[in-house]
Amino acid sequence: MNTAPDDIEPRIIALLTRYLEPRWTADPSSRVTISGDTGLTSDLTLDSFQVMEFLMELEDDLDIAIDMNRLSDVHTVRDLATVAVQQTA
Amino acid sequence: MPLLDKFQAVAAIRAGLGGDHNDPTGVVIEEILSATEGRVAGRRTILAGTNNYLGLTFDPACIDAGKRALEAQGTGTTGSRMANGSFADHTALERELAAFYDLPYGLVFSTGYAANLAVLAALLEPADAVLLDADAHASLYDGCRMSGAEIFRFKHNDPDSLEKRLRRLGERSANALIVTEGLYSVLGDTAPLAEFVSLKEQYGALLMVDEAHSLGVYGDRGRGVAEARGVLDQVDFTVGTFSKSLGAMGGFCVSPHPELDLFRYVARPFIFTASGSPATIATVREALRQLQAQPQLRENLWRNAHRLYDGLQSLGHQLGPEPSPVVAVRIGARDDALRFWNRLLEAGVYVNLMVPPASPDSHSYLRCSVSAAHTPQQIDAVLEAFRGAA
Repeated sequence: MNTAPDDIEPRIIALLTRYLEPRWTADPSSRVTISGDTGLTSDLTLDSFQVMEFLMELEDDLDIAIDMNRLSDVHTVRDLATVAVQQTA
Repeated sequence: MPLLDKFQAVAAIRAGLGGDHNDPTGVVIEEILSATEGRVAGRRTILAGTNNYLGLTFDPACIDAGKRALEAQGTGTTGSRMANGSFADHTALERELAAFYDLPYGLVFSTGYAANLAVLAALLEPADAVLLDADAHASLYDGCRMSGAEIFRFKHNDPDSLEKRLRRLGERSANALIVTEGLYSVLGDTAPLAEFVSLKEQYGALLMVDEAHSLGVYGDRGRGVAEARGVLDQVDFTVGTFSKSLGAMGGFCVSPHPELDLFRYVARPFIFTASGSPATIATVREALRQLQAQPQLRENLWRNAHRLYDGLQSLGHQLGPEPSPVVAVRIGARDDALRFWNRLLEAGVYVNLMVPPASPDSHSYLRCSVSAAHTPQQIDAVLEAFRGAA
């Protein structure tokens, strides 16, 4: 599959938006505009459980399996897109 | 950042746990009164968070076996089995564990944690794939990390999620290892092992099951959840610990695969650590005999487990999904759980406080573990404490 991070990034953003919507609805002040530079823990304040939970949703959405060892390199949405692309290659 | 600076964050977390309260990570049991009672802060306290499932820590036969080994063999082995040699009791215990599971091969480790590290690091190489339940114990995760294998998590206890990941691995799934537990130690739920076995057969993978909390608890002969589900003979590697139902310390692995015997030469957590002390190994051998000779211990355990689970449910608490000797009460916010835990301790009941990231989700829990040695009155006293602390 010839996929680039730029192709996957919008899907990750859409999926993150859907994942965070209940929290944002409950607390509108926590709503964030997500971009490639958005930090998963620093900006979206996802805890470690939420990151792992979201990751499995992303795997199912893209029909890929992501090696957990790669997550130490992931801080932003773009980092996640890069790892996801490598797992689809 | 200077090396020691990161501990400032740890210190802040610890300070947040203490304050006006007791520190749940620093409880000292000043006197052990029995398998189910101790003295904490000068107060007689029911121990309902010890994993002493069969209550064998004060079994007279186990204590006698330990005393005799201490006198006959000394206080310790003073080294690893590879370098210093095994004591006869180590190899006897390995044979007895294998026989207990009707399997040809058994290996004993110094702790349950080391058993998981050793088995996973021996089995897996960096090119291999391991499929790990999302709620698997840290020792399983650490063992996978230590091996360098690629790690793919599947949703907790979810065969569909596992199947998707096996499919995504393509041909590699035939060389993959599936790793799960029998009874999960925080929520007290059990793995759908029959479904996992079916997937393992379908894709040609191997299956490792950690029965740390289910040995002595599940199955007609107390061999764990795999026995209870009728799939024990299809598990490739069963690992477990001596520190719960067997009331001591150490770990083991049993397997139908002859390669297990070769793990002794490649598993670093086996090779480079001191072996279990003579007294420890002797009490484990005796506890394994008691586990088999006294099925009534399991009956008492389950009677107590249902009494506590049903009682907490009628108090309106949100519990784990199924009755088991691990009963988790969901509290929600960490500070609420901390206050609740303190009130229980002040009422003379000790349970475990589980907060994120140690809990399996974003909630905090008060985790109770039931023992066969608890009396019905003690279970009722625990329930009364929960009623008063709410």
